[in-house]
Amino acid sequence: MDLINHKGTATMGVNIDALKCIGCMACEMACGYHRDDGFAFLSACIVLYRGREKKNYFGVILKEEERLVVARPEGVEVKIIGASGDEDTSGEKKDEDASAKPMLLREPCDLCEEMKYGPMCVKVCPVDAITLES
Amino acid sequence: MEYLSSERILIVDLEAGEVSEYDLDEDLVAEKIGGAGITKALYEQYQEDEPIVLGAGLLTGTLYPASSLAVITARSPVTGKVCHAPVTYHAGIELKYAGFDYAVIKGRSDKPVYLWIHDGVADISDASELWGKNLWQTTDALRRTLGDDLIQVLAVGPAGEGGSDIAQVGVNYWSSGDRFGFGKLFGQKNLKGIALRGMGLLEIADPEAFVDAAFEVLSSIKNGASVGKKGVEDICAALGEGDVKDWLAPLVHRYSACYNTPYPSHTFVFLDADPKKRTDPGTDEPGFRVTDVEALLGFKKLGLSAEAACRLMKACAKQGVDAAAVAELSGKAGKTDAAAIEASLSSLTGTVFLPGRGIFSPWSPQQPLFGDFSISGDKGEWWERRMAVAYVFGIHPIFAVMAPELTEENLLEMSRIGTELELDREVLDIVVGDLLS
Repeated sequence: MDLINHKGTATMGVNIDALKCIGCMACEMACGYHRDDGFAFLSACIVLYRGREKKNYFGVILKEEERLVVARPEGVEVKIIGASGDEDTSGEKKDEDASAKPMLLREPCDLCEEMKYGPMCVKVCPVDAITLES
Repeated sequence: MEYLSSERILIVDLEAGEVSEYDLDEDLVAEKIGGAGITKALYEQYQEDEPIVLGAGLLTGTLYPASSLAVITARSPVTGKVCHAPVTYHAGIELKYAGFDYAVIKGRSDKPVYLWIHDGVADISDASELWGKNLWQTTDALRRTLGDDLIQVLAVGPAGEGGSDIAQVGVNYWSSGDRFGFGKLFGQKNLKGIALRGMGLLEIADPEAFVDAAFEVLSSIKNGASVGKKGVEDICAALGEGDVKDWLAPLVHRYSACYNTPYPSHTFVFLDADPKKRTDPGTDEPGFRVTDVEALLGFKKLGLSAEAACRLMKACAKQGVDAAAVAELSGKAGKTDAAAIEASLSSLTGTVFLPGRGIFSPWSPQQPLFGDFSISGDKGEWWERRMAVAYVFGIHPIFAVMAPELTEENLLEMSRIGTELELDREVLDIVVGDLLS
Protein backbone atom coordinates (compact mmCIF):
# COMPACT_ATOMS: atom_id res chain seq x y z
CA MET A 1 0.00 0.00 0.00
CA ASP A 2 1.41 3.39 -0.99
CA LEU A 3 0.86 6.45 1.07
CA ILE A 4 0.13 9.73 -0.61
CA ASN A 5 0.52 12.81 1.49
CA HIS A 6 -2.74 14.41 0.75
CA LYS A 7 -3.19 17.47 2.87
CA GLY A 8 -6.63 18.91 2.30
CA THR A 9 -9.87 17.09 2.05
CA ALA A 10 -10.54 16.21 -1.57
CA THR A 11 -11.71 12.68 -2.25
CA MET A 12 -13.73 11.33 -5.16
CA GLY A 13 -16.88 13.06 -4.02
CA VAL A 14 -17.04 13.39 -0.26
CA ASN A 15 -14.91 15.79 1.74
CA ILE A 16 -14.11 15.06 5.38
CA ASP A 17 -12.88 17.68 7.80
CA ALA A 18 -11.65 15.70 10.80
CA LEU A 19 -11.19 18.80 12.91
CA LYS A 20 -14.85 19.70 12.51
CA CYS A 21 -15.90 16.15 13.38
CA ILE A 22 -17.42 15.70 16.84
CA GLY A 23 -17.17 11.92 16.79
CA CYS A 24 -20.88 11.18 17.04
CA MET A 25 -20.87 8.20 14.65
CA ALA A 26 -24.06 9.35 12.90
CA CYS A 27 -22.28 8.98 9.54
CA GLU A 28 -21.37 5.40 10.36
CA MET A 29 -24.93 4.52 11.26
CA ALA A 30 -26.38 6.31 8.21
CA CYS A 31 -23.99 4.38 5.96
CA GLY A 32 -24.93 1.15 7.68
CA TYR A 33 -28.60 1.92 7.11
CA HIS A 34 -27.89 2.47 3.41
CA ARG A 35 -26.28 -0.96 3.22
CA ASP A 36 -28.63 -2.99 5.39
CA ASP A 37 -31.98 -1.17 5.33
CA GLY A 38 -31.90 -1.37 9.11
CA PHE A 39 -29.78 0.10 11.88
CA ALA A 40 -26.36 -1.58 11.99
CA PHE A 41 -22.68 -0.69 11.86
CA LEU A 42 -21.01 -3.73 10.38
CA SER A 43 -21.37 -2.84 6.70
CA ALA A 44 -20.62 0.87 6.87
CA CYS A 45 -17.83 2.02 4.55
CA ILE A 46 -17.33 5.17 6.60
CA VAL A 47 -16.39 4.70 10.24
CA LEU A 48 -15.36 6.84 13.14
CA TYR A 49 -11.83 5.97 14.13
CA ARG A 50 -11.94 6.04 17.93
CA GLY A 51 -9.29 3.60 19.02
CA ARG A 52 -7.25 6.10 21.03
CA GLU A 53 -9.94 7.23 23.43
CA LYS A 54 -7.70 8.37 26.30
CA LYS A 55 -5.81 10.63 23.92
CA ASN A 56 -8.95 12.18 22.47
CA TYR A 57 -7.53 11.32 19.06
CA PHE A 58 -10.31 10.55 16.61
CA GLY A 59 -11.02 10.84 12.93
CA VAL A 60 -12.93 9.25 10.06
CA ILE A 61 -11.99 6.45 7.66
CA LEU A 62 -13.74 6.08 4.31
CA LYS A 63 -13.32 3.16 1.98
CA GLU A 64 -13.59 4.03 -1.69
CA GLU A 65 -13.25 1.79 -4.73
CA GLU A 66 -9.48 1.82 -4.87
CA ARG A 67 -8.50 4.06 -1.98
CA LEU A 68 -8.75 4.33 1.74
CA VAL A 69 -9.26 7.89 2.93
CA VAL A 70 -8.03 8.42 6.48
CA ALA A 71 -9.10 11.82 7.80
CA ARG A 72 -7.02 12.47 10.89
CA PRO A 73 -6.90 15.64 12.98
CA GLU A 74 -3.60 16.56 11.33
CA GLY A 75 -4.91 16.14 7.80
CA VAL A 76 -6.23 13.71 5.24
CA GLU A 77 -4.20 10.81 3.94
CA VAL A 78 -5.21 8.73 0.94
CA LYS A 79 -3.90 5.21 0.66
CA ILE A 80 -4.06 3.32 -2.60
CA ILE A 81 -5.41 -0.13 -1.88
CA GLY A 82 -3.16 -2.92 -3.01
CA ALA A 83 -0.45 -0.72 -4.47
CA SER A 84 2.11 -2.34 -2.23
CA GLY A 85 2.19 -4.00 1.17
CA ASP A 86 -0.16 -6.92 1.20
CA GLU A 87 -1.17 -7.07 4.82
CA ASP A 88 -3.90 -4.54 4.10
CA THR A 89 -5.64 -6.57 1.42
CA SER A 90 -5.58 -9.67 3.61
CA GLY A 91 -8.19 -8.15 5.89
CA GLU A 92 -5.85 -7.86 8.82
CA LYS A 93 -6.82 -5.03 11.12
CA LYS A 94 -4.54 -2.02 11.08
CA ASP A 95 -3.85 0.13 14.09
CA GLU A 96 -6.09 2.94 12.91
CA ASP A 97 -8.82 0.52 11.93
CA ALA A 98 -10.33 -0.31 15.29
CA SER A 99 -13.63 -1.51 13.84
CA ALA A 100 -14.89 -5.06 14.31
CA LYS A 101 -14.74 -5.75 10.59
CA PRO A 102 -11.64 -4.47 8.78
CA MET A 103 -12.40 -1.67 6.36
CA LEU A 104 -10.81 -3.42 3.45
CA LEU A 105 -13.35 -6.23 3.70
CA ARG A 106 -16.26 -3.81 3.32
CA GLU A 107 -18.05 -2.63 0.20
CA PRO A 108 -16.61 0.63 -1.14
CA CYS A 109 -18.49 3.91 -1.05
CA ASP A 110 -20.99 4.25 -3.89
CA LEU A 111 -22.04 7.78 -2.85
CA CYS A 112 -25.44 6.28 -1.95
CA GLU A 113 -26.29 6.55 -5.62
CA GLU A 114 -29.80 5.14 -5.30
CA MET A 115 -30.71 7.14 -2.18
CA LYS A 116 -32.88 10.18 -2.65
CA TYR A 117 -30.79 12.20 -0.20
CA GLY A 118 -27.50 11.49 -1.92
CA PRO A 119 -24.66 10.47 0.39
CA MET A 120 -26.30 9.68 3.72
CA CYS A 121 -23.17 10.56 5.69
CA VAL A 122 -23.31 14.09 4.29
CA LYS A 123 -27.00 14.41 5.08
CA VAL A 124 -26.73 13.18 8.66
CA CYS A 125 -23.61 15.01 9.85
CA PRO A 126 -24.82 17.54 12.43
CA VAL A 127 -21.80 19.83 12.09
CA ASP A 128 -21.19 19.58 8.32
CA ALA A 129 -17.81 17.90 8.79
CA ILE A 130 -18.68 15.73 5.79
CA THR A 131 -19.62 17.59 2.64
CA LEU A 132 -20.01 16.90 -1.05
CA GLU A 133 -17.15 17.90 -3.25
CA SER A 134 -18.31 20.75 -5.44
CA MET B 1 -40.74 -7.28 19.74
CA GLU B 2 -39.70 -7.23 16.11
CA TYR B 3 -38.58 -3.67 15.45
CA LEU B 4 -35.97 -1.23 16.84
CA SER B 5 -35.06 -4.04 19.17
CA SER B 6 -32.74 -6.96 19.75
CA GLU B 7 -35.90 -8.79 20.88
CA ARG B 8 -34.32 -10.23 24.01
CA ILE B 9 -34.02 -9.69 27.75
CA LEU B 10 -31.00 -11.04 29.62
CA ILE B 11 -31.25 -12.36 33.16
CA VAL B 12 -28.02 -12.70 35.11
CA ASP B 13 -28.09 -14.57 38.40
CA LEU B 14 -24.85 -13.66 40.12
CA GLU B 15 -25.52 -15.93 43.08
CA ALA B 16 -26.02 -19.02 40.93
CA GLY B 17 -23.45 -17.93 38.37
CA GLU B 18 -25.97 -18.50 35.60
CA VAL B 19 -27.45 -16.50 32.74
CA SER B 20 -30.71 -16.97 30.89
CA GLU B 21 -32.75 -14.96 28.44
CA TYR B 22 -36.25 -14.56 27.17
CA ASP B 23 -38.03 -12.72 24.40
CA LEU B 24 -39.01 -9.11 24.82
CA ASP B 25 -42.79 -9.27 24.65
CA GLU B 26 -44.42 -6.78 22.31
CA ASP B 27 -47.21 -6.33 24.84
CA LEU B 28 -44.68 -5.05 27.40
CA VAL B 29 -43.45 -2.44 24.90
CA ALA B 30 -47.03 -1.47 24.03
CA GLU B 31 -47.70 -0.90 27.74
CA LYS B 32 -44.37 0.56 28.98
CA ILE B 33 -42.77 1.81 25.72
CA GLY B 34 -39.13 1.26 26.70
CA GLY B 35 -36.12 2.57 28.60
CA ALA B 36 -36.94 3.49 32.18
CA GLY B 37 -40.57 2.48 31.59
CA ILE B 38 -39.46 -1.13 31.21
CA THR B 39 -36.41 -1.11 33.50
CA LYS B 40 -38.65 -0.02 36.35
CA ALA B 41 -41.17 -2.75 35.52
CA LEU B 42 -38.36 -5.32 35.45
CA TYR B 43 -36.98 -3.94 38.71
CA GLU B 44 -40.37 -4.46 40.35
CA GLN B 45 -40.68 -7.95 38.90
CA TYR B 46 -37.34 -9.01 40.39
CA GLN B 47 -37.19 -6.67 43.38
CA GLU B 48 -36.74 -9.45 45.94
CA ASP B 49 -33.30 -10.04 44.39
CA GLU B 50 -32.34 -6.34 44.65
CA PRO B 51 -31.57 -6.23 40.92
CA ILE B 52 -29.60 -3.81 38.84
CA VAL B 53 -31.48 -3.35 35.58
CA LEU B 54 -29.74 -2.05 32.50
CA GLY B 55 -31.87 -1.06 29.53
CA ALA B 56 -32.06 0.82 26.26
CA GLY B 57 -34.72 3.30 25.22
CA LEU B 58 -37.16 2.48 22.44
CA LEU B 59 -35.30 4.76 20.00
CA THR B 60 -31.78 4.16 21.39
CA GLY B 61 -29.19 3.44 18.73
CA THR B 62 -31.23 4.67 15.77
CA LEU B 63 -30.88 7.62 13.42
CA TYR B 64 -33.21 9.69 15.57
CA PRO B 65 -31.14 12.64 16.84
CA ALA B 66 -29.61 12.20 20.30
CA SER B 67 -30.74 8.57 20.61
CA SER B 68 -27.67 7.73 22.69
CA LEU B 69 -29.13 6.91 26.09
CA ALA B 70 -29.33 3.73 28.09
CA VAL B 71 -30.37 3.63 31.73
CA ILE B 72 -29.33 1.85 34.91
CA THR B 73 -32.30 1.40 37.21
CA ALA B 74 -31.84 0.16 40.76
CA ARG B 75 -32.58 1.03 44.36
CA SER B 76 -30.03 3.55 45.52
CA PRO B 77 -28.05 2.15 48.46
CA VAL B 78 -27.81 5.74 49.67
CA THR B 79 -31.32 7.17 49.34
CA GLY B 80 -33.35 3.96 49.30
CA LYS B 81 -35.27 5.11 46.23
CA VAL B 82 -35.52 3.35 42.88
CA CYS B 83 -33.51 5.68 40.64
CA HIS B 84 -32.41 5.94 37.02
CA ALA B 85 -28.82 6.78 36.05
CA PRO B 86 -27.91 7.76 32.49
CA VAL B 87 -25.42 5.84 30.34
CA THR B 88 -24.28 7.83 27.32
CA TYR B 89 -21.04 8.39 25.32
CA HIS B 90 -20.88 5.46 22.86
CA ALA B 91 -21.78 2.99 25.59
CA GLY B 92 -25.52 3.69 25.72
CA ILE B 93 -26.20 2.01 22.40
CA GLU B 94 -23.95 -0.98 22.93
CA LEU B 95 -26.28 -3.23 24.98
CA LYS B 96 -28.87 -3.26 22.22
CA TYR B 97 -26.29 -3.97 19.53
CA ALA B 98 -24.75 -6.64 21.76
CA GLY B 99 -28.02 -8.52 21.54
CA PHE B 100 -30.17 -7.47 24.48
CA ASP B 101 -32.54 -4.57 25.06
CA TYR B 102 -32.54 -5.17 28.81
CA ALA B 103 -30.35 -6.94 31.33
CA VAL B 104 -31.51 -7.83 34.84
CA ILE B 105 -28.57 -8.51 37.17
CA LYS B 106 -29.78 -10.11 40.36
CA GLY B 107 -28.27 -11.57 43.49
CA ARG B 108 -24.70 -11.34 44.73
CA SER B 109 -21.66 -13.21 43.56
CA ASP B 110 -19.50 -14.82 46.24
CA LYS B 111 -16.37 -13.68 44.39
CA PRO B 112 -15.49 -10.72 42.14
CA VAL B 113 -16.87 -11.10 38.62
CA TYR B 114 -17.51 -9.07 35.52
CA LEU B 115 -20.07 -9.52 32.77
CA TRP B 116 -19.03 -9.78 29.15
CA ILE B 117 -22.04 -9.18 26.91
CA HIS B 118 -21.27 -9.52 23.24
CA ASP B 119 -23.04 -10.56 20.05
CA GLY B 120 -25.97 -12.20 21.78
CA VAL B 121 -23.86 -13.98 24.39
CA ALA B 122 -23.37 -13.15 28.07
CA ASP B 123 -20.58 -14.56 30.20
CA ILE B 124 -19.94 -14.20 33.92
CA SER B 125 -16.17 -14.07 34.25
CA ASP B 126 -13.72 -14.06 37.11
CA ALA B 127 -12.65 -10.53 38.07
CA SER B 128 -10.18 -11.37 40.83
CA GLU B 129 -7.34 -9.80 38.83
CA LEU B 130 -9.39 -6.66 38.20
CA TRP B 131 -10.44 -6.17 41.83
CA GLY B 132 -8.52 -3.26 43.29
CA LYS B 133 -7.78 -1.67 39.94
CA ASN B 134 -8.97 1.83 39.23
CA LEU B 135 -11.40 2.59 36.42
CA TRP B 136 -8.71 3.40 33.87
CA GLN B 137 -6.75 0.25 34.62
CA THR B 138 -9.95 -1.79 34.53
CA THR B 139 -11.00 -0.48 31.13
CA ASP B 140 -7.54 -1.04 29.71
CA ALA B 141 -7.38 -4.55 31.13
CA LEU B 142 -10.80 -5.56 29.83
CA ARG B 143 -10.09 -4.24 26.35
CA ARG B 144 -6.72 -5.97 26.30
CA THR B 145 -8.02 -9.27 27.68
CA LEU B 146 -11.06 -9.37 25.42
CA GLY B 147 -9.12 -8.12 22.42
CA ASP B 148 -11.14 -5.15 21.24
CA ASP B 149 -10.34 -1.46 21.75
CA LEU B 150 -13.94 -0.47 21.14
CA ILE B 151 -15.45 -2.46 24.01
CA GLN B 152 -17.61 -0.21 26.15
CA VAL B 153 -17.14 -0.59 29.89
CA LEU B 154 -19.39 0.19 32.84
CA ALA B 155 -17.29 -0.38 35.92
CA VAL B 156 -16.43 0.65 39.44
CA GLY B 157 -13.14 1.63 40.97
CA PRO B 158 -11.84 1.17 44.51
CA ALA B 159 -14.61 3.44 45.84
CA GLY B 160 -17.34 1.02 44.71
CA GLU B 161 -15.44 -1.99 45.96
CA GLY B 162 -14.97 -0.31 49.32
CA GLY B 163 -18.62 0.60 49.79
CA SER B 164 -18.41 4.38 49.50
CA ASP B 165 -21.77 6.16 49.45
CA ILE B 166 -20.49 8.40 46.65
CA ALA B 167 -19.14 5.57 44.51
CA GLN B 168 -20.12 5.83 40.90
CA VAL B 169 -20.45 3.47 37.96
CA GLY B 170 -18.08 5.02 35.42
CA VAL B 171 -18.19 4.67 31.66
CA ASN B 172 -14.87 3.61 30.09
CA TYR B 173 -12.38 6.10 31.59
CA TRP B 174 -14.88 8.80 32.38
CA SER B 175 -17.32 9.94 35.00
CA SER B 176 -21.02 9.39 34.53
CA GLY B 177 -24.34 10.79 35.66
CA ASP B 178 -24.63 8.19 38.44
CA ARG B 179 -25.49 10.32 41.47
CA PHE B 180 -27.13 7.47 43.34
CA GLY B 181 -24.21 5.40 44.64
CA PHE B 182 -24.81 2.61 42.12
CA GLY B 183 -21.05 2.09 42.28
CA LYS B 184 -21.53 0.92 45.87
CA LEU B 185 -24.28 -1.42 44.69
CA PHE B 186 -21.93 -2.98 42.11
CA GLY B 187 -19.38 -3.46 44.87
CA GLN B 188 -21.93 -5.07 47.19
CA LYS B 189 -22.72 -7.57 44.45
CA ASN B 190 -19.03 -8.24 43.81
CA LEU B 191 -19.67 -6.98 40.29
CA LYS B 192 -16.58 -5.17 39.03
CA GLY B 193 -18.09 -4.16 35.74
CA ILE B 194 -19.89 -4.88 32.51
CA ALA B 195 -18.11 -5.06 29.15
CA LEU B 196 -20.30 -4.51 26.10
CA ARG B 197 -19.70 -5.00 22.40
CA GLY B 198 -22.00 -6.01 19.58
CA MET B 199 -22.64 -5.70 15.91
CA GLY B 200 -26.33 -6.53 15.70
CA LEU B 201 -28.95 -5.17 13.34
CA LEU B 202 -32.19 -3.45 14.32
CA GLU B 203 -35.08 -3.87 11.89
CA ILE B 204 -37.39 -0.91 11.25
CA ALA B 205 -41.09 -1.28 10.51
CA ASP B 206 -41.05 1.46 7.88
CA PRO B 207 -37.39 2.29 7.23
CA GLU B 208 -37.83 5.04 4.67
CA ALA B 209 -40.50 6.88 6.63
CA PHE B 210 -38.44 6.62 9.80
CA VAL B 211 -35.33 8.07 8.22
CA ASP B 212 -37.33 10.79 6.44
CA ALA B 213 -38.84 11.85 9.76
CA ALA B 214 -35.50 11.65 11.59
CA PHE B 215 -33.83 13.85 8.98
CA GLU B 216 -36.68 16.34 9.24
CA VAL B 217 -36.07 16.65 12.98
CA LEU B 218 -32.32 16.95 12.42
CA SER B 219 -32.90 19.75 9.92
CA SER B 220 -34.93 21.69 12.44
CA ILE B 221 -32.20 21.16 15.07
CA LYS B 222 -29.56 22.43 12.64
CA ASN B 223 -31.58 25.63 12.43
CA GLY B 224 -32.15 25.76 16.19
CA ALA B 225 -30.69 27.53 19.18
CA SER B 226 -27.90 25.04 19.97
CA VAL B 227 -26.12 25.51 16.64
CA GLY B 228 -22.57 26.83 16.98
CA LYS B 229 -22.43 26.14 20.71
CA LYS B 230 -20.23 23.45 22.19
CA GLY B 231 -18.81 21.87 25.26
CA VAL B 232 -19.46 22.27 28.95
CA GLU B 233 -18.52 25.95 28.65
CA ASP B 234 -21.61 26.96 26.67
CA ILE B 235 -23.78 24.90 28.98
CA CYS B 236 -22.27 26.79 31.92
CA ALA B 237 -22.89 30.09 30.11
CA ALA B 238 -26.55 29.16 29.68
CA LEU B 239 -26.66 28.53 33.43
CA GLY B 240 -25.33 32.03 34.10
CA GLU B 241 -21.69 30.99 34.56
CA GLY B 242 -20.24 32.69 31.50
CA ASP B 243 -16.73 33.10 32.91
CA VAL B 244 -16.09 29.37 32.76
CA LYS B 245 -15.16 29.73 29.10
CA ASP B 246 -12.11 31.94 29.72
CA TRP B 247 -11.20 30.00 32.88
CA LEU B 248 -11.06 26.69 31.01
CA ALA B 249 -9.83 27.96 27.64
CA PRO B 250 -6.04 27.43 28.10
CA LEU B 251 -6.63 23.70 28.63
CA VAL B 252 -9.19 22.96 25.93
CA HIS B 253 -8.11 20.45 23.31
CA ARG B 254 -11.16 19.34 21.33
CA TYR B 255 -14.91 18.72 21.64
CA SER B 256 -16.82 15.51 21.08
CA ALA B 257 -20.35 14.17 21.29
CA CYS B 258 -22.23 11.11 22.42
CA TYR B 259 -23.64 8.78 19.77
CA ASN B 260 -25.69 10.64 17.14
CA THR B 261 -26.07 13.63 19.43
CA PRO B 262 -25.89 16.95 17.56
CA TYR B 263 -24.34 18.86 20.47
CA PRO B 264 -20.71 18.10 21.47
CA SER B 265 -21.13 18.16 25.23
CA HIS B 266 -17.64 16.82 26.02
CA THR B 267 -14.81 19.27 26.50
CA PHE B 268 -11.53 17.41 26.44
CA VAL B 269 -8.78 19.19 28.35
CA PHE B 270 -5.08 18.44 28.07
CA LEU B 271 -3.28 18.56 31.42
CA ASP B 272 -0.01 16.85 30.53
CA ALA B 273 0.36 17.72 26.85
CA ASP B 274 0.03 20.79 24.67
CA PRO B 275 -3.72 21.39 24.11
CA LYS B 276 -2.97 22.98 20.75
CA LYS B 277 -1.36 19.84 19.43
CA ARG B 278 -3.58 18.11 16.89
CA THR B 279 -1.36 15.14 16.20
CA ASP B 280 -1.05 12.21 18.57
CA PRO B 281 -0.06 13.84 21.90
CA GLY B 282 2.63 11.25 22.54
CA THR B 283 1.77 10.61 26.15
CA ASP B 284 -0.80 7.93 26.95
CA GLU B 285 -2.89 9.98 29.36
CA PRO B 286 -2.73 13.62 28.25
CA GLY B 287 -5.86 14.80 29.98
CA PHE B 288 -9.49 14.31 30.83
CA ARG B 289 -12.91 14.40 29.18
CA VAL B 290 -15.01 16.92 31.11
CA THR B 291 -18.71 16.18 30.88
CA ASP B 292 -19.96 16.90 34.38
CA VAL B 293 -21.07 20.52 34.57
CA GLU B 294 -22.15 20.24 38.18
CA ALA B 295 -18.75 18.93 39.27
CA LEU B 296 -16.85 21.51 37.24
CA LEU B 297 -18.86 24.39 38.68
CA GLY B 298 -18.62 22.91 42.16
CA PHE B 299 -14.83 22.83 42.09
CA LYS B 300 -14.66 26.28 40.51
CA LYS B 301 -16.78 27.66 43.31
CA LEU B 302 -14.31 26.23 45.82
CA GLY B 303 -11.77 28.57 44.25
CA LEU B 304 -9.71 25.94 42.42
CA SER B 305 -7.87 26.72 39.23
CA ALA B 306 -9.19 25.12 36.07
CA GLU B 307 -6.23 22.77 36.00
CA ALA B 308 -6.67 21.75 39.64
CA ALA B 309 -10.39 21.20 39.09
CA CYS B 310 -9.80 19.03 36.03
CA ARG B 311 -7.05 17.02 37.70
CA LEU B 312 -9.39 16.42 40.62
CA MET B 313 -12.17 15.26 38.29
CA LYS B 314 -9.70 12.88 36.66
CA ALA B 315 -8.72 11.51 40.08
CA CYS B 316 -12.40 11.07 40.97
CA ALA B 317 -13.06 9.20 37.73
CA LYS B 318 -10.13 6.85 38.32
CA GLN B 319 -11.30 6.07 41.85
CA GLY B 320 -14.92 5.76 40.69
CA VAL B 321 -16.16 8.59 42.85
CA ASP B 322 -18.94 11.03 41.95
CA ALA B 323 -17.01 14.29 41.43
CA ALA B 324 -20.09 16.47 41.90
CA ALA B 325 -20.64 14.89 45.31
CA VAL B 326 -16.98 15.46 46.16
CA ALA B 327 -17.30 19.14 45.29
CA GLU B 328 -20.52 19.53 47.31
CA LEU B 329 -19.28 17.64 50.37
CA SER B 330 -15.88 19.33 50.31
CA GLY B 331 -17.62 22.70 50.21
CA LYS B 332 -19.76 21.77 53.20
CA ALA B 333 -16.64 20.68 55.08
CA GLY B 334 -14.82 23.89 54.22
CA LYS B 335 -12.13 22.09 52.22
CA THR B 336 -10.73 24.17 49.39
CA ASP B 337 -7.30 22.64 48.87
CA ALA B 338 -7.16 20.30 45.88
CA ALA B 339 -4.52 17.99 47.38
CA ALA B 340 -6.46 17.68 50.63
CA ILE B 341 -9.67 16.97 48.74
CA GLU B 342 -7.99 14.29 46.64
CA ALA B 343 -6.53 12.71 49.77
CA SER B 344 -10.03 12.51 51.25
CA LEU B 345 -11.72 10.74 48.32
CA SER B 346 -11.79 7.35 49.97
CA SER B 347 -13.22 8.63 53.25
CA LEU B 348 -15.62 11.34 52.09
CA THR B 349 -19.22 10.72 53.08
CA GLY B 350 -22.45 12.61 53.49
CA THR B 351 -25.75 13.43 51.87
CA VAL B 352 -25.88 15.32 48.58
CA PHE B 353 -28.68 17.30 47.01
CA LEU B 354 -30.87 15.58 44.44
CA PRO B 355 -33.57 17.66 42.75
CA GLY B 356 -37.25 16.87 42.66
CA ARG B 357 -38.21 13.35 43.59
CA GLY B 358 -34.53 12.39 43.57
CA ILE B 359 -34.96 9.70 40.92
CA PHE B 360 -33.32 11.36 37.89
CA SER B 361 -29.75 12.55 37.75
CA PRO B 362 -28.95 16.27 38.10
CA TRP B 363 -26.15 15.59 35.59
CA SER B 364 -28.77 17.14 33.28
CA PRO B 365 -29.35 20.79 34.20
CA GLN B 366 -32.79 21.48 35.62
CA GLN B 367 -33.70 24.20 33.16
CA PRO B 368 -33.82 24.81 29.41
CA LEU B 369 -30.34 25.61 28.11
CA PHE B 370 -30.60 27.21 24.70
CA GLY B 371 -33.97 26.49 23.14
CA ASP B 372 -37.32 28.01 24.09
CA PHE B 373 -39.57 25.35 25.60
CA SER B 374 -42.36 27.84 26.48
CA ILE B 375 -42.74 26.36 29.95
CA SER B 376 -46.02 27.41 31.47
CA GLY B 377 -45.95 25.61 34.81
CA ASP B 378 -43.43 24.69 37.46
CA LYS B 379 -39.88 24.37 36.05
CA GLY B 380 -39.04 21.45 38.34
CA GLU B 381 -42.10 19.52 37.20
CA TRP B 382 -41.19 20.32 33.60
CA TRP B 383 -37.65 18.96 34.10
CA GLU B 384 -38.76 15.73 35.72
CA ARG B 385 -41.29 15.03 32.98
CA ARG B 386 -38.66 15.89 30.36
CA MET B 387 -36.26 13.44 32.01
CA ALA B 388 -38.90 10.73 32.23
CA VAL B 389 -39.65 11.09 28.52
CA ALA B 390 -35.94 11.13 27.58
CA TYR B 391 -35.24 8.03 29.68
CA VAL B 392 -38.17 6.17 28.14
CA PHE B 393 -37.27 6.84 24.51
CA GLY B 394 -33.47 6.85 24.98
CA ILE B 395 -32.71 10.50 24.35
CA HIS B 396 -29.55 12.16 25.68
CA PRO B 397 -30.80 13.88 28.85
CA ILE B 398 -28.69 17.01 28.44
CA PHE B 399 -29.62 17.43 24.80
CA ALA B 400 -33.24 16.90 25.87
CA VAL B 401 -33.14 20.22 27.77
CA MET B 402 -31.48 21.97 24.81
CA ALA B 403 -33.71 20.95 21.94
CA PRO B 404 -37.43 21.74 21.98
CA GLU B 405 -37.50 20.24 18.49
CA LEU B 406 -37.62 16.83 20.17
CA THR B 407 -41.28 17.03 21.12
CA GLU B 408 -43.24 14.30 22.84
CA GLU B 409 -45.54 14.14 19.82
CA ASN B 410 -42.57 13.62 17.53
CA LEU B 411 -41.04 10.94 19.75
CA LEU B 412 -44.36 9.07 19.75
CA GLU B 413 -44.72 9.42 15.99
CA MET B 414 -41.19 8.08 15.45
CA SER B 415 -41.96 5.17 17.73
CA ARG B 416 -45.11 4.33 15.77
CA ILE B 417 -43.28 4.54 12.44
CA GLY B 418 -40.42 2.47 13.74
CA THR B 419 -42.44 -0.26 15.47
CA GLU B 420 -46.01 -0.24 14.10
CA LEU B 421 -47.21 -0.21 17.70
CA GLU B 422 -50.09 2.10 18.64
CA LEU B 423 -48.16 4.23 21.06
CA ASP B 424 -50.01 7.42 21.86
CA ARG B 425 -50.12 10.20 24.41
CA GLU B 426 -52.40 8.23 26.70
CA VAL B 427 -49.82 5.45 26.96
CA LEU B 428 -46.97 7.93 27.47
CA ASP B 429 -48.86 9.77 30.20
CA ILE B 430 -49.42 6.51 32.05
CA VAL B 431 -45.76 5.51 31.73
CA VAL B 432 -44.51 8.91 32.86
CA GLY B 433 -47.04 8.97 35.68
CA ASP B 434 -45.81 5.59 36.88
CA LEU B 435 -42.17 6.74 36.80
CA LEU B 436 -42.98 9.87 38.76
CA SER B 437 -45.29 8.19 41.27
